[in-house]
Amino acid sequence: MATQTHSLSYAGCNFLRQRLVLSTLSGRPVKIRKIRARDDNPGLRDFEASFIRLLDKITNGSRIEINQTGTTLYYQPGLLYGGSVEHDCSVLRSIGYYLESLLCLAPFMKNPLRIVLRGVTNDQVDPSVDVLRATALPLLKQFGIDGESLELKIVRRGMPPGGGGEVFFSCPVRKFLRPIQLTDPGKIKRIRGMAYSVRVSPQMANRIVDSARSILNKFIPDIYIYTDHVKGINSGKSPGFGLSLVAETTNSTFLSAELASNPQGQGAAVLPEDLGRNCAKLLLEEIYRAWLEESPQSVSRTLVVLSFALDPCWEGEAVSLTRRIQGRLPGTVISPLCV
Amino acid sequence: MEAKDQKKHRKKNSGPKPDKKKKRHLQDLQLGDEEDTQKRNPKAFAVQSAVRMARSFHRTQDLKTKKHHVPVVDRTPLEPPPIVVVVMGPPKVGKSTLIRCLIRNFTRQKLTEIRGPVTIVSGKKRRLTIIECGCDINMMIDLAKVADLVLMLIDASFGFEMETFEFLNICQVHGFPKIMGVLTHLDSFKYNKQLKKTKKRLKHRFWTEVYPGAKLFYLSGMVHGEYQNQEIHNLGRFITVMKFRPLTWQTSHPYILADRMEDLTKPEDIRMNIKCDRKLSLYGYLRGAHLKNKSHIHMPGVGDFAVSDISFLPDPCALPEQQKKRCLNEKEKLVYAPLSGVGGVLYDKDAVYVDLGGSHGFQGSDETRPTHELVQSLISTHSTIDAKIASSRVTLFSDSKPLGSEDIDNQWLRIPKEEKQMDLKTGRVRRKAIFGGDEDVSGVGDIEDDEEISEGDRLKNSSSDETEEEEDAEMTGKVYMVDKVVKWPRLEEMEENIERDVLAFADSDDDFERSSEDEGEVEEADESSEEEGSSAEGEKAILEPKSIEKGSKPGLLQSNGLIDSMNLEKTMKKVTLAVSDSGHYRTEEAFASEESSSLSTEKKDTENEEVIRKKFPKLSQVVSGQKLWSENSTDETSDIDLLKEEEDYKEENIYSIETSGALKWKEDLSRKAAEAFLRQQQATPNLQKLIYGTVTEDDEEEEEGDTREELGGLFRVTQPTRECKHKAEALDCSKFQLEVPHDWDLEEVMNSIRDCFVTGKWEEDKDAAKILAEDEELYGDFEDLETGDVHKGKSGLDTQIDDVEKELKEEIEPSAEESVKKKHLDKKRKLKELFDAEYDEGENTYFDDLKGEMQKQTQLNRAEFEDQDDEARVQYEGFRPGMYVRIEIENVPCEFVLNFDPHYPIILGGLGNSEGSLGYVQMRLKKHRWYKKILKSRDPIIFSVGWRRFQTIPLYYIEDHNGRQRLLKYTPQHMHCGATFWGPITPQGTGVLAIQFVSGITPDFRIAATGIVLDLDKSIKIVKKLKLTGFPYKIFKNTSFIKGMFNSALEVAKFEGAVVRTVSGIRGQIKKALRAPEGAFRASFEDKLLMSDIVFMRTWYPVSIPAFYNPVTSLLKPVGEKDTWSGMRTTGQLRLTHHIRLKPNKDSLYKLIVRQKKHFNSLYIPKALQKALPFKSKPKTQAKAGKTPRDRLRPAVVREPHERKILALLDALSTVHGHKLKKAKEQQHLHNKEHFILKQKEQEEKLKRQKDLRKKLFRIQGQKERRNQKSSLKGPEEQMK
Repeated sequence: MATQTHSLSYAGCNFLRQRLVLSTLSGRPVKIRKIRARDDNPGLRDFEASFIRLLDKITNGSRIEINQTGTTLYYQPGLLYGGSVEHDCSVLRSIGYYLESLLCLAPFMKNPLRIVLRGVTNDQVDPSVDVLRATALPLLKQFGIDGESLELKIVRRGMPPGGGGEVFFSCPVRKFLRPIQLTDPGKIKRIRGMAYSVRVSPQMANRIVDSARSILNKFIPDIYIYTDHVKGINSGKSPGFGLSLVAETTNSTFLSAELASNPQGQGAAVLPEDLGRNCAKLLLEEIYRAWLEESPQSVSRTLVVLSFALDPCWEGEAVSLTRRIQGRLPGTVISPLCV
Repeated sequence: MEAKDQKKHRKKNSGPKPDKKKKRHLQDLQLGDEEDTQKRNPKAFAVQSAVRMARSFHRTQDLKTKKHHVPVVDRTPLEPPPIVVVVMGPPKVGKSTLIRCLIRNFTRQKLTEIRGPVTIVSGKKRRLTIIECGCDINMMIDLAKVADLVLMLIDASFGFEMETFEFLNICQVHGFPKIMGVLTHLDSFKYNKQLKKTKKRLKHRFWTEVYPGAKLFYLSGMVHGEYQNQEIHNLGRFITVMKFRPLTWQTSHPYILADRMEDLTKPEDIRMNIKCDRKLSLYGYLRGAHLKNKSHIHMPGVGDFAVSDISFLPDPCALPEQQKKRCLNEKEKLVYAPLSGVGGVLYDKDAVYVDLGGSHGFQGSDETRPTHELVQSLISTHSTIDAKIASSRVTLFSDSKPLGSEDIDNQWLRIPKEEKQMDLKTGRVRRKAIFGGDEDVSGVGDIEDDEEISEGDRLKNSSSDETEEEEDAEMTGKVYMVDKVVKWPRLEEMEENIERDVLAFADSDDDFERSSEDEGEVEEADESSEEEGSSAEGEKAILEPKSIEKGSKPGLLQSNGLIDSMNLEKTMKKVTLAVSDSGHYRTEEAFASEESSSLSTEKKDTENEEVIRKKFPKLSQVVSGQKLWSENSTDETSDIDLLKEEEDYKEENIYSIETSGALKWKEDLSRKAAEAFLRQQQATPNLQKLIYGTVTEDDEEEEEGDTREELGGLFRVTQPTRECKHKAEALDCSKFQLEVPHDWDLEEVMNSIRDCFVTGKWEEDKDAAKILAEDEELYGDFEDLETGDVHKGKSGLDTQIDDVEKELKEEIEPSAEESVKKKHLDKKRKLKELFDAEYDEGENTYFDDLKGEMQKQTQLNRAEFEDQDDEARVQYEGFRPGMYVRIEIENVPCEFVLNFDPHYPIILGGLGNSEGSLGYVQMRLKKHRWYKKILKSRDPIIFSVGWRRFQTIPLYYIEDHNGRQRLLKYTPQHMHCGATFWGPITPQGTGVLAIQFVSGITPDFRIAATGIVLDLDKSIKIVKKLKLTGFPYKIFKNTSFIKGMFNSALEVAKFEGAVVRTVSGIRGQIKKALRAPEGAFRASFEDKLLMSDIVFMRTWYPVSIPAFYNPVTSLLKPVGEKDTWSGMRTTGQLRLTHHIRLKPNKDSLYKLIVRQKKHFNSLYIPKALQKALPFKSKPKTQAKAGKTPRDRLRPAVVREPHERKILALLDALSTVHGHKLKKAKEQQHLHNKEHFILKQKEQEEKLKRQKDLRKKLFRIQGQKERRNQKSSLKGPEEQMK
């Protein structure tokens, strides 16, 4: 038909997720060329393929064309359908990689999304499920997407390289979204955290907590770090431990930092004390950047905000919001948006 | 007696005066006001019945809540767009007259011919766009979607017509705008009573359609061909004070009712191919929601388009600025209707057109075409570029005198460069009509003069333009619309400025030529800068203030090209950024403001601009575009020498001829422009940079790096820098990677973020201690009840002293006074808030809260961009409704322009995010009860959904109780059914209208069905029933072998376990396939089958919907045939036209039923039973009656002749007697009748007499009574006296 919107075209595999997510939300087809075209191992990676498959599962009528080498991807988005879905994520990236995008898409589904994701729950690259649960869900709640069905449950923990974790995420659909004002960050009132240990000594988590507290206590007394030792069937296939910290402000915005131990058989062993301390410092760094440098905060959150800004039914409010946040956005995030 | 007849004065019982009196009276009585009555007489206000009270309470609450609407955030702009008033009615009802009268009423102007929308200022805060709607259903549908108010004209002498009802139904489907009925032709009624009755009848019918109490206006008659002034005035008042409820579709979509259309296609392209796709600019007020650049729009009747550019223009019909007076003065009563040729001055982005009363004519374009043979032949040969140049140039001059190429070359040498540009501009499509006059003034030598001609010149130019145009009109004998004339090179001008026109072709030339020219220019600038770097200072001063004044960044353009020459590689990025950033608007502005310094450089720059624009068909794809650009530019720098040789424009000659002076100022300009540009860059935040950040730059660098290393012009060594590769193929991770972590063990570093915690320091206004202290100040003493502490505020004496001190301080420093004042105000506000909270909180309902929230949001939204200027604002929020915008659209079918009819509305409806894509749309549909046929599945039908009108093939279905969607062959007669079609996705809840045909005139109701969109999907679930039948060929006890149902064992395998049934109702199950006959299977049943049984299985077969979507392109039809669009025909229609009769199945034909008589055997009762039966029931065996014997038969009587005579006589006598009797009887009957009538009359008279008598009696009685009454009334008065 003559009305068929022409596709946007990009080169390179960077921001693949953002591009696909925003394309889905805006309904405009995208064509991505030169995906690792000069690489020794050209084309889409497994985790990206898995992501595209996930998109296919939650949408209806999407058209995905990938050329033989996998260096060119054409994606024509369908309708966001939702429903009950199960997906086995690639173990190359953690579930956070997939979940970040799902958080952007889930509120705009036709049917409430209930999805089970299997794979790696915590790794060193992506934001872990713990962090997303602590930061992104409250943000969704602020938009008016709340209720019992908004849930992110870690059923099993799985560490790289084996994976074996399982996460259940469900998100309701709301007819109207509430506008929010994110102009004043407020002051940090409490710090919460989660120290987990999988298939290692339960003492690890306690050691992490102690070391992290030793640093954070100098700033604020209201700190509580939960320890989560999982064993047996819930502990996935590989051992590991880590810590994620979340600072909450008086205006209920969240800052997070996290660290995980090196995957089994890769890199040197990490002392839990070091990990705790480093993680605490990372959080301080995040705070420093958020307040003093006014630089990007958690990208996943800004992406969520952006996806809301793209929502058609929400135009007026979103305008002011995007403008406010734009100064703080990393250029990387906004580039696919300005289409 | 007279006194009696007079009406007595009635005292007022309500209103302010009686209230006052009552109050006074009560005060006199020392009773207080009404509230005290409750105290005084509590019994009267006591609860009599709890039930009744509850009921009344419920009722009031119900009424209250009924009034509530869901509160929505008010997004209406502060200066709303004009209200669209659609004047609708059947033909010859007086629509145009009404519009004319309304316009005259508001503006005191008479319009002779009205075409398209007319915008007028109707009051201090309201403008109206009035448009007429004929009875073409396409137009009706389109206008119903954009109307705010519909004036529905009804011919009272005729009554309602189908169009009225059709339009009402269309309105109902597409959101219900305000509808006001207007009855005309009321003077055709002779009798007042008849008129009254008609009015009442029509009113009530109208009410049932719209809503009870809908306003129906009466225009009683015509005076001199116009409606009566007073009535029109009243109607106008109604319109101006009318309030509107926002309609969902309209408020959520941007739309424009275009009131002006321009063809921007290059004349050259049209000349080459008259059917080429056009580039248009459309003008109109933006309504509804915000419209963003590059968004998608739909033009009903034409198709979908992407906005290639959008800009806002000064309001041509602005509301008055001051609003102190009560009414408008004559100057402020504006009218704007470009399509009707009204509006006087037209504003474009870069020019002003003054209309001189000429009318519109698109056919005029043919007139300017050359008629001379030589020219024609020149045109026809476009083999080489040179030839093309020559021909294209020559085409501009028409009938005057043919020019050979030698002449042109000679002229070429004489032409000053600056003037080329002028001509370029005039040659450019509709861009610069202003420059006609001053070209002679600015020669080659007087550059200074040229520069000093500033904005003031524009007026002069325009005036000269006017005269030119006038002459033009006279000359050609044709009437042109102004803009059209501007577009097409004028004959007269041609004659005058033959030389100057030489370069005009450049505009219409293809890309390659231009770019090469462009490069040449770059080179030129280079040279000049080398020659005279310092001599530019003088002119600088002249130019600089100008550029600042204009505020429209005039330097931008110049810099564009000039920076190329100076530091090309470095600034290339910036230039492109600037182009894409500022959009076209800014650059175009520059066009307008820079006519004084119309230089060759600038011209080149504009060309440059165009090159860029061409290269970036979409600004959104700047990244890719930039690559192109950078490639282009690098080519320029590297191959300058090569290009020099390539130049076949003899530009070197020009350089040599041109004086050094010309170069001097040019040179200066370049630097000036560069500086201005840099300033601009610093001053305005570069959105592009903000958004695209570093990535794009990197990309560019990469590309540059690529292009730089070129080997032999053939191969490229790709050495992507490591960093670039990193960026393009970076890890897709949202975590922020830290480069240089701080050392958090250091005290200072730690201290730096200490204030970020609640334990740290707070700002002044948020510090808890401070707030507490403030509170204390506010409330003074209070006692903490828990602890028993008593806090004391400052004592009176202290405060007094404080006050004195304060006053002293105030005297000393006035600034302190202000702050104190502010503090005081703050305090007051706080107190007020507290008070409000205390007293209002109790009554606040959820609804009020919600409303308040919405209001807050509204304020917030408004405040967000309040302080920004429009240019920046439109980039953030898009173009807001109320703006007068100009939209450029490309690839419009040429028929739209060629067959343009201003009477038809041009609507640009903005599309939402997903509304451009196609999918399956499910809806609930109901055949309209006035439509005479039912609709058939798979018959193409025209739907109107959202902005669109399109033909598609729907399937109708009905949902079974288990959610199965079962296909229907036809829509139900009086019931809702589902329908699914393949078409554009439209949001749920949108109204749907179906029409079978939009063409042709039919006396019947045209709207076939109405409905609502329920669901959108990319897959469908409609199924139809499929019965598979088979026959048993072998029957065991409960098991049978069935054949004929399937064709293969594989098919059977698919249906194993499926339920089958026989016609007689025996149920069973498919077990397994058999080997012997292919497709046979074993099945088990609940009973033994018969060989005659038929076994069948019910299955559901999914049906597919044909992906047929055909937009109704009614606006592309020729003028006068716009209502004849016909799309795909239905099979029925095809059969009709081709005289193909359907061959029905013989078995399904009806035949005459012949029933054979049934013969039953006689009932046989066994003998034993017979014996046992009672006598009554026993079969009686009677002997048959035999023949009567001969002797018993009576003999025949044979009469004698005498006897026979007697008998005949007797017969005759008896006949006569009988006749007599009959006569007598008849007479008697007649007599009786007369007597009866007489009697009746007597009776009537008697009754009448009695009635009169009674009447008289009663009258006397009544009089008596009245007398009695009167006397009793008079009695006391007399006593008083």
